Amino acid sequence: MSLIEVKDLRKVYRIDQERVVALGRVNLSIDEGEVCCILGTSGSGKSTLLNIMAGLEKPTRGKVLIGGEDITAMGERQLALFRQKNIGFIFQSYNLMPTLTAVENVAMPLMFRGVSRARRDKEAKKMLKAVGLGKRMKHRPTQMSGGQQQRVGIARAFVAKPKIVFADEPTGNLDSHTTLEVMEMIVHMARDHGETLILVTHDKEIAQYADRIVRLVDGAIISDTPNQSIIGREEQAQPEEAATPAKDAPAEEAVPAEAVPSSEMPSPQADDPAPLPDPDAFPS
Amino acid sequence: MKIKDMIVMCLSNLLKRKVRTLLTVMGVVIGTCAIVVMISLGLGLQKTQEEALAQMGDLTVINIYNYGNATEQPLDDSMLEQFRQIPKVVAVTPVYSPETWGSVMFISGKYQYESSIYGVDMNALPLLGYQTDAGELPTGGKYDGVVLFGADSVQNFRNPKSKRWDEVPDLNLMEDKIEIVIPFENDPKNKKSISYKATVPAILTSDWSKNPSPGYSAFMDINYLKKLETEYRKLNGVKVDKNKVFSYNNVVVKVEDMKDVAAVEEVIQGFGFETNSMESIRKPLEEQSRSQQMILGGLGAISLLVAALGITNTMIMSIYERTREIGVMKVLGCLVSNIRTVFLMEAGTIGLMGGIIGVGISYGISFAINTLSMQGGAGGGMGGIGGMGGMSLGGSSIIPWWLVVGALLFSTLVGLASGFYPANRAVKISALTAIRQE
Ligand SMILES: Nc1ncnc2c1ncn2[C@@H]1O[C@H](COP(=O)(O)OP(=O)(O)OP(=O)(O)O)[C@@H](O)[C@H]1O
Ligand SMILES: [Mg+2]
Repeated sequence: MSLIEVKDLRKVYRIDQERVVALGRVNLSIDEGEVCCILGTSGSGKSTLLNIMAGLEKPTRGKVLIGGEDITAMGERQLALFRQKNIGFIFQSYNLMPTLTAVENVAMPLMFRGVSRARRDKEAKKMLKAVGLGKRMKHRPTQMSGGQQQRVGIARAFVAKPKIVFADEPTGNLDSHTTLEVMEMIVHMARDHGETLILVTHDKEIAQYADRIVRLVDGAIISDTPNQSIIGREEQAQPEEAATPAKDAPAEEAVPAEAVPSSEMPSPQADDPAPLPDPDAFPS
Repeated sequence: MKIKDMIVMCLSNLLKRKVRTLLTVMGVVIGTCAIVVMISLGLGLQKTQEEALAQMGDLTVINIYNYGNATEQPLDDSMLEQFRQIPKVVAVTPVYSPETWGSVMFISGKYQYESSIYGVDMNALPLLGYQTDAGELPTGGKYDGVVLFGADSVQNFRNPKSKRWDEVPDLNLMEDKIEIVIPFENDPKNKKSISYKATVPAILTSDWSKNPSPGYSAFMDINYLKKLETEYRKLNGVKVDKNKVFSYNNVVVKVEDMKDVAAVEEVIQGFGFETNSMESIRKPLEEQSRSQQMILGGLGAISLLVAALGITNTMIMSIYERTREIGVMKVLGCLVSNIRTVFLMEAGTIGLMGGIIGVGISYGISFAINTLSMQGGAGGGMGGIGGMGGMSLGGSSIIPWWLVVGALLFSTLVGLASGFYPANRAVKISALTAIRQE
C-alpha cells in the first residue's frame, strides 16, 4: 500500500452565491520515499491539494489516507499530534519566527513535541550545519538573506525526521541561482533520509528535480508521469507531456492517478545513486 | 510542549514589547494599589473604632440588669452558677450594694468612709482585668476581712467633726489600721457596735470603663458582705420580708472573645433577663465600617476593572500582530491547548507582576499615611486634648498578610480572566489563513 492515498478528492469554495471548484475529483497515491512534484499553472488547485493532504483544510468530499489513517476524519488535536510526528513544511515565504534565532527556529517542531532544550538544540545545530549555516546559528531571520532563511526553513522541516515533507513553491521568492541551491538541498535531504517529498510548483524546470510529475489543470490531474530525465535532460522530459491522453479532459472526468500506478515506476534513484544536478546545466 | 518551554515563550513574548507590557502592568499596579490602600484604610478605621470602643468599656463583658421583676426568675447565686456553665463564659460576678445604707462602715482613726461598697466575686476580679496601683489582688478563697479600695477612694474618708470639705485625709489605706464596723442604731461609736479588723491587700487602679468602677469605691467579697449584713440585721432587729425573693440587681458576665458575646447574650436572654453589652454599640459600628470598607474597596475595584480592560486590549493587539506566528505554530504541530496556555500565562503574568509591584507600593503609601497621621496625632496630643484623643483622631492604614495574599491572587485572577477571551481568539485563528497572510 502507498504511503499517501488521495481518494475522490473534491474541494469547492463557496463565495456568496458563486462556487469555485478548486479540485474536481482527484485520485492519487504516493509511495514512501518518493519525490513527487505537483505541477500546474496559477489557480490550478495545487496549494489546495497540498493543504488538504497535509490536513490543514477539510475537503468537500473524498478522503486522504496517510499510512492507512484517514486524516480528513481527524479532529484538531489529533491532526496537530499527527503533524508533529509525521509532517514537515517548507513555505514559500519561509515563515520563520522573527524574534527567534536560527537554532530556536529549527528546534521549534521538536519543542512542540516536548523534546528537552539541550537535545533539540543539538539536533537543530546538526541540521543547520547540514544546510551550510553552521556560522549563523545565533542569527535572527532579519539578519539573513532570503536563501539563508529558506535554508533555515529546510532545516526546520527536516529536523524532526518526518515521514513526509510538503513544500509549496519553496523557491518562489528566490533568484534563479539560489533556487538551484535550495532545490538541490531539499531533494538531497529527502533522498538521504528516505523521506517522501511533495513539491508544489508552477515551474517546469523545478519539476525536473522530482521522481514523478503530477500535472494539475483546473483542479484535475491531467498527467502523472515518472520523470526519466530527473534533471539536466529536459529535452527528454517534453514528449511525456504530449503522450498524456487526458490532457484536455474536463476537470470532473480527469483520469485517476491510478492510471499510471506509481508502484510500477522504476525508481530513478536506483539507476543513478547520485542524481544531484549540475546547476550550470540549467538555462538561466 | 513542556511547561518550562511555555513559560519561556510567555516571558519572551512579554519582554519583546517591553513598553507595552510595562504600561499594561502599570494599570494593574494602580488598580491593586487602589484596592489595597482603600481596604487598609478601612481596616485602620475599624481598628481605631475598636480602640475607641475599648476605652468606653470592655467589649467582652455582658451586664445583666434586673430591677423589680424578680418574680419569674430570681437572679440569685444558683442562677449565677448556671451562667458559669454557659460555654465561653470566663467569669461571673454579682455587683451588690448593701440594701441598707450604712449597714457596713470603715473607720480609721478619726476618719470614716462615706461612699459605695460593692460585693463582688473576688475570684473574678483578675479575670475581669482589674489592675492594682499597689499590692496584689487576693486569691485563695478566704476573703473574710479583705477590703480593696479604689485609687481615689481615700478622698471618701472624712472626719465627721471637720467643717472643711476639701480636707484630704492623711491616710495610707494599705498600712494604717482600718476597722470594719457594723453599727448599732447607725452610731458607730455605740458600745454595742461590732467591729472587725480589715486587711487591704491592694489598691485598685482607677478605670471608668469597668463595672463596677473601682475609682472612688471599695470592694469586698460578696459572701463576706452578705454575712456582715446579716449581722447588722440581727444587731438592730431589722425584719426581712419572708415573701421577698432575693435577687441581684446587676451581674457581670465576661466571655472569652468579642465574637462570643452575641451567643452568650442570647442564652442569658433565654433565661428571661435583659442584657446589655458593648455589642449593641459595636455591631452597628462594625456594620457601618464594613459598608465603608465595601465602598472603599469598590472604588479600588473599579480601577482594577479598567486595568483588566487594558490587559484584554493588550492581548488582542498582540494576537493581531502574532496571527501569522500562531498560524505557523499550528501548521508545525503545536497543540491549540499549548497556545491557549501561553496566552493565559502572559495575561496572568501581567496581573501577577502588577499585583506584586502594587502591593509593594501600597506598603510605601501605607507607611506614609501612618507616619503623617502619627505626627498629626502627636501634635493634637500636645495641644492638650491628651494622647488618647490624638490617637483616635488620626487615621491609620493596616495591611495584614491576608490582604497581601488576597491582592496577589486577585490581580492574577483578573489577569487570567482578561486573557481568557484573547486566548480563545488565538486558538480559533485558522492556520491556513494565517500563513497565507502577507
Ligand atoms: N480560501 C479560498 N476561498 C475561495 N477560493 C479559494 C480559496 N483558496 C483557493 N481558492 C480558489 O481555488 C482555486 C485554486 O487555488 P490554489 O491556491 O490551490 O491555486 P494554486 O494552484 O496554488 O495557485 P498559485 O500557483 O497561484 O498558488 C483558485 O481558483 C482560487 O481562487
Ligand atoms: Mg499556491
